[in-house]
Amino acid sequence: MQKIAIETRGLTRRFGAQLAVNEVNLQVPEAAVYGFLGPNGAGKTTTIRMLLGLIRPNAGEVKLFGESFTDNRLKLLQRVGALVETPSLYPHLTGRENLEVTRRLLGAKRELIDRALGIVKLTADAHRRVREYSLGMRQRLSLALALLNNPDLLILDEPANGLDPAGIHEMRDLIRRLASEFGITIFLSSHLLSEVEQVANHIGIIHQGKLLFQGTLAELQAERHEHLTVGVTQPDQAAKCLTAAGWQVQHGEDGLLNVAATTREAAASINSLLVGQRLDVFHIAQAQASLEDIFLNLTNNSAEQEAAR
Amino acid sequence: MIFFRVLHAEMLKLKRTLAFRMVFVAPVLVVTLIFFILYEKKEFKPDFDLWDAVLKIALNSWAVFMMPLLITLETALLSGLEHGEKQWKHILALPVTRKSVYLVKLLTVHMLILISMTLLIVLAICVGLVFIKIRPALANTGMPPWGWILKHSAYVWLASWLIMAIHTWVSVRWASFAVTLGTGIAGTFFALFAASAKLGKFYPWLLPVNVFSDERLALALWIGIVGGVVATVLGCWDFVRRDVA
Repeated sequence: MQKIAIETRGLTRRFGAQLAVNEVNLQVPEAAVYGFLGPNGAGKTTTIRMLLGLIRPNAGEVKLFGESFTDNRLKLLQRVGALVETPSLYPHLTGRENLEVTRRLLGAKRELIDRALGIVKLTADAHRRVREYSLGMRQRLSLALALLNNPDLLILDEPANGLDPAGIHEMRDLIRRLASEFGITIFLSSHLLSEVEQVANHIGIIHQGKLLFQGTLAELQAERHEHLTVGVTQPDQAAKCLTAAGWQVQHGEDGLLNVAATTREAAASINSLLVGQRLDVFHIAQAQASLEDIFLNLTNNSAEQEAAR
Repeated sequence: MIFFRVLHAEMLKLKRTLAFRMVFVAPVLVVTLIFFILYEKKEFKPDFDLWDAVLKIALNSWAVFMMPLLITLETALLSGLEHGEKQWKHILALPVTRKSVYLVKLLTVHMLILISMTLLIVLAICVGLVFIKIRPALANTGMPPWGWILKHSAYVWLASWLIMAIHTWVSVRWASFAVTLGTGIAGTFFALFAASAKLGKFYPWLLPVNVFSDERLALALWIGIVGGVVATVLGCWDFVRRDVA
């Protein structure tokens, strides 16, 4: 049976009247890279803060490595490294001194500092004060702080936030390396699907506090629906005509229509129908919904359901 | 053990900080003031008690003005270290207890104030010794009254427990520097008015100076210590149960 690193049951948190996290049931397998996705304000950071005991849930429970977090907080945090939102560093201290502060708090061995600096490639700059660091270097140092106790679980909240493309690339490589070389379970939150799908093998999608999807990346990819994209000079008229003929039609990007059909025969029928109505067809092609589309569909559907209530 | 780990880390955080530099600046300011007061005094009557003058000015001005302001500044700066880049979320996601984090902050304030006060006394004695050398009229002055110094320094420190606990609580609770500084400045400023009032004996920011009055000494110590412990327990309780932003 697969071991679970993070498990939450009915995790709920309110801020006044606002339900920030609504009965979230997470299942993060050990050694997985779990991408926790959601738009800004979806409840990602609140969930992460509850996982780390920074805020208390109104209901539900958190288990790490099969043990209750509430009953074993200190013991479990020994196995966890975290980077929550922006880097938390002391700018007046050097990179090495920042690590030394955390090392003392952990009661860890001194040699772990060099190891952490090596992993994030900051050894050469360790003697410099953090106020002289670039944002990318600060983010890497924060990651070194999270790695200092040689954790089994790494919780990273939007680690690419504020980084330039080169910094994002560097961070992505680092995360991949941590997972493959050190076998660390990584729980990574982001609002960028394109970022997460490059490193994660498990995905959770949260929106308006509710977990909408949870599974492997392959399972999410299986949700992709093939369809036909149809280019026609009068798309509104064409949509009416196709709908009247029983096809499911949606307006897509660039004025194209997305029709729920996949076969060549269907393409031919649609073409005949539109031409018969004297509509000029200039494009018919098979297409597949991107992960981005699936993500947007899931989050938009959830928003519509919420509005309908 | 966790407490000592947190304390060990806190000591490193002080490196290159204004909080640490102020420990030395504050007593130097007071002693410089004493030096110039004495320097301007051209004649000394035969019954002039140099140690009484030097130490009373030093400890009184320290207790009524400089120490409350220093406590305000130190607590604001020490908590500011954690508020600055939201370090609380990093520290409290580590395997340390919140209680130990809070108590170490308070203990650090106590340590810094004690170091500063010790320095004040050492420097004040040095000023006295300098005047014994440069003013022939003071050549027959005896040794400093060590017993009085020790006793009254301890009283001033014990009576300041309450304001140290209040300021630690306020500075940890509110990230804004203005709230902490405002509390301290208002507290010290109103002490000037409260000093002559009957209820002044209960006023937290006056407790350290009240120890120089025989009438108010016992009450100042009692309120300072018991109030300090109560404010510490309340502040710690608040810190332990609060959400970390």
